[in-house]
Amino acid sequence: MKGLAPLFLGIFGTFAFSWVGLTLIPNWQIGHLNPQSDEEGTDIYPMPQSGMVTRGARVYAANGCNYCHSEQVRAEYSGADIERKWGDRRSAPRDYIFERPVLLGKMRMGQDLANIGARAPKEEESPSPTGGASPAPQGAAASPSAVASAKAASSPPATSPSPATAPATSPGAIASKPPASPGPAGPPPSKSPAAAAAASPAASPRPSAPPWPEQTAGLPPMYSAAWHHVHLYSPRSINFDSNMPSYRFLYETRRITDARSSDALQLTGSDAPREGWEIVPTYDAKCLVAYMMALNQSHPLKEVRSTGASAAASPAASPPPAPGGQPAK
Amino acid sequence: MNSTGIPLKEPAISAAAGDTEQLERALIDASTRVPVLIFYTSAVAWLILGTLLAGFVSFKLHTPDLLSDIGFLTWGRVRPVHMNVMVYGWASMAGMGTAIWLMARLCRTVLRYPLLLVAGAGFWNLGVFLGVCGILLGDSTGYQWLEFPSYAAIILFVAYTLVASWAVLMFRFRRGEQIYITQWYLLGAFLWFPWLYAAGQLMLFVVPVQGVLQAAVGWWYANNLLFLWFGAIGLGTAYYMIPKVIGRPVYSYHLATIGFWSYALFSSWTGMQRLVDGPFPAWMVTASIAATILTLIPVATVGLNHHMTMQGYFPLMRYSPTLRFTVFGAMSYTVFSLVGVLISLRSVARYVNFTQASIAYSHLGLYAFFTMVIFGSMYYIVPRLIGREWRYGSLIKLHFWASAYGIGLMTLMLLAGGLTQGASMENPSLAFSESVESVLPYLRGRSLSGILLMVSHFIFAYHFGLMLFGLGRKSTVPTFLNPVEAEGAEVAH
Repeated sequence: MKGLAPLFLGIFGTFAFSWVGLTLIPNWQIGHLNPQSDEEGTDIYPMPQSGMVTRGARVYAANGCNYCHSEQVRAEYSGADIERKWGDRRSAPRDYIFERPVLLGKMRMGQDLANIGARAPKEEESPSPTGGASPAPQGAAASPSAVASAKAASSPPATSPSPATAPATSPGAIASKPPASPGPAGPPPSKSPAAAAAASPAASPRPSAPPWPEQTAGLPPMYSAAWHHVHLYSPRSINFDSNMPSYRFLYETRRITDARSSDALQLTGSDAPREGWEIVPTYDAKCLVAYMMALNQSHPLKEVRSTGASAAASPAASPPPAPGGQPAK
Repeated sequence: MNSTGIPLKEPAISAAAGDTEQLERALIDASTRVPVLIFYTSAVAWLILGTLLAGFVSFKLHTPDLLSDIGFLTWGRVRPVHMNVMVYGWASMAGMGTAIWLMARLCRTVLRYPLLLVAGAGFWNLGVFLGVCGILLGDSTGYQWLEFPSYAAIILFVAYTLVASWAVLMFRFRRGEQIYITQWYLLGAFLWFPWLYAAGQLMLFVVPVQGVLQAAVGWWYANNLLFLWFGAIGLGTAYYMIPKVIGRPVYSYHLATIGFWSYALFSSWTGMQRLVDGPFPAWMVTASIAATILTLIPVATVGLNHHMTMQGYFPLMRYSPTLRFTVFGAMSYTVFSLVGVLISLRSVARYVNFTQASIAYSHLGLYAFFTMVIFGSMYYIVPRLIGREWRYGSLIKLHFWASAYGIGLMTLMLLAGGLTQGASMENPSLAFSESVESVLPYLRGRSLSGILLMVSHFIFAYHFGLMLFGLGRKSTVPTFLNPVEAEGAEVAH
């Protein structure tokens, strides 16, 4: 090749073409989205994140959760994501406008987490600081999974001071009960964080059982904040074939000074701390769980068709994904 | 072909080379000694660290409780450290070392301002070191291959500016009007990288774009780094080493031109295919899938060119370590591209999108193609810098076979595992946990292949260390893999 000019121009031009085409034009197209709202300007989605959630996203990225968990639901024609109940609809650019960093993920050695917050029991959606002390709604639905039954038989319930709002039954009784039929209603379709925060955590009895199996014996309800803490601390105590490493370094073991902390984890078996000690989440762990509880794309978007016309209808139509809905790995 | 007046024979050892030419080359080689050796030594040190981390990461993936209670050893931190050590510590530094040497040779001028390069290498090492510490302490940004926190990224950029400004200076003082194919690729790599890196940093961290576009910029960066930085250096090196070793000009100049420009045009548009059916406008993904398919044009032209150049000279791979590694790498480039096309097709991506298959793809590009070419170039360049020949032909042979079998096994395991994993994931009647369980045996197999690679890298590092301490052979004959038979195959190492 003779002459430098064509070489330099070509090197410059080809790359400029790609830069403009794959980053600048998309930025012009979808780089300035606003939250959607209805005519009255209410029911705004998505909402800006709270400080704890933002910090939680950093903890999530710093510990590389995104190398095993994706946060995107593909459309029904391009994968089984929706059939796996990872969401009612595909994810859209508008779902992420307040996320930073955006951790879409490229690998599923663990479940998709795009809607993990939406799968929480209703009163647990908001990042609740009450950790382990949240009332465990034990009688609601027994888990059909053998794992939970085995656990119920082998391990006594945790010593957590459980307020007796839920119908208190002994774990043995729960285990022997036949699996309750899936409840008629799942999480309602509209769940802005503000609305969820308004829901009182303890006062109202559970309106209905969620469509996924619940862990009962000695363990907090599945995908609740307390459940996440136990799962992060000891994944295989919840799901024995889980491949997730434990994140014990996000938790602190300390001596109980006067009363058991309300944050203390409800651990059973070999994970339980010694007598007089308790395991509490660090602030980072609380932020991480707050972030996961805020991952919720169940709000309908105008530009995307939701498959389960309403979230309440879909679970009734299909049985709970028996072992498929097992705890996240 | 020769009407273009291109000195196609330039890199070949001319039989009529006068003493002055030999002397000139020796002078140029000597002038690059210190900086190139600094780059190589750092690279080999990072390679060993990265290899150890890789083994650790691989075992942890199927043994999750291994040392998981220590924050900085958690899988999600060690894995990005492994990737970044390999990408910025090993591959970039070794690539820059080779590129510097090639640039000096092809510009036919002694290296000026070596201190600039030494400082560049120092800053680059510092940047990688700080970045690694940052990730381990929990400062990772979460974007693939851009995990280094901003304080490390800035240092890397300063280091890079030093190296690149040197390359431009070198080019400014070149002798002769002709620009050889290798120089196109190297110039491209040196000019694309800073733009790419700056664009990535700016659009993600300084003035971040909104929402999902961050993910788009992240993958655009990662893919372009693979193609326009590593790919360009690797292809440029192969274009030099193959003709040089067999002593024969490149088959076709026109093919090379087509190959270069189609490569620059199409491979820079790939990246979004890895986000297939994600929350993006469909045209972005489709454009990248189309571009990925179009990269078959440069693959075909480059592959054909190399093949025709090698035609009749393949038996030389029995002797020359450089040729064997380089040809392996050049062939892997074809495999890498074909796999890339295959897993980007929507009907396939549906199954392999979120599986280990994408790890296989990265390893094919970064290891089977790029790293093998760079190994080959190091076997060629290091003796010319030190004035000694490699000590043991058997060690080189062992290195080659351990690497070749290691990466082959790893690719097969990850591709097969990815397909299995994807097939169970796409079947909603199977529990999700079964998709994870179905891939675990393959991951154990991958750990085995990692052991092979570890062996190969330790052998190479040991051999390189011997060379560095002047323990190489004193000889005028290069080290061959096998004794040259009596029929006197004229091998120019």
